[in-house]
Amino acid sequence: MNLFGMLAVSGSALTAERQRAEVVTSNMANMETTRTPEGGPYRRQLVVFRSRRMPQFPALLAGFGNVSARGVRVDQVIADARPPLQRYQPGHPDADAKGYVSYPAVDPVEETADLLGAVRAYELNASAVQSTKTMIQQSLDLLR
Amino acid sequence: MSMIDDPAITALTRFLDVNVFRSELVMSNMANIDTPGYRTRDINFSQEMQRAGGNLEYASFSPVARSVRGLMERPDGNNVSLERESLLLADTQLSFNLGVQLLRDEFKGILSAINSGSGGSGS
Repeated sequence: MNLFGMLAVSGSALTAERQRAEVVTSNMANMETTRTPEGGPYRRQLVVFRSRRMPQFPALLAGFGNVSARGVRVDQVIADARPPLQRYQPGHPDADAKGYVSYPAVDPVEETADLLGAVRAYELNASAVQSTKTMIQQSLDLLR
Repeated sequence: MSMIDDPAITALTRFLDVNVFRSELVMSNMANIDTPGYRTRDINFSQEMQRAGGNLEYASFSPVARSVRGLMERPDGNNVSLERESLLLADTQLSFNLGVQLLRDEFKGILSAINSGSGGSGS
């Protein structure tokens, strides 16, 4: 339980939300990608968050039995199970025998909403960092 | 009675401790705003103040975090409310500021007592 531990909690959230935004932007960038190293069309990626106990400095924690701070981390990045979208484009080099091309099942509206969510959460945690900094500064002012 | 062991200073220290603990929970809630299944956690402020005030030994102060009930739950099992946490963040920050200012004031009183002992030339 300490002020610097709070910075670590908010910092973990900043990292996680940025990773989420990265995944969303790569989904947006690959909306029309039909070729990937694994073969086939690009698969939409999703992040899964998991809360985690923050590592604490034992010396600073002396006497405080319960560690309450819980940060967050990206537990895994999974591929969306939705089937690819089929578009009739007989002239396309990746078209199948019937002339259909498989495109990634990425919904631009969904991705935009997700990106906004990530940005908002990032802002929220950035303001939490500001608040923690003010509190630390105030405690330091006690020394003056 | 020693002036440094002033009950006001002890109480203010507890007040700051409880505030830091609470803001730590607020930060945890904010960090986990998108974590599926995460439940909002908070303390009972007055209860923790009383408990902290009851035992004066610093090391034995161990606040208890509880899940908050009555919040709207999202489909993913997470019930963190952005508004609640933002307000609580502002609340704890201002309370912390108040505690620090009062503590400064207490120290200033002690300092002026020390200085006035040296014939007024010390200040």
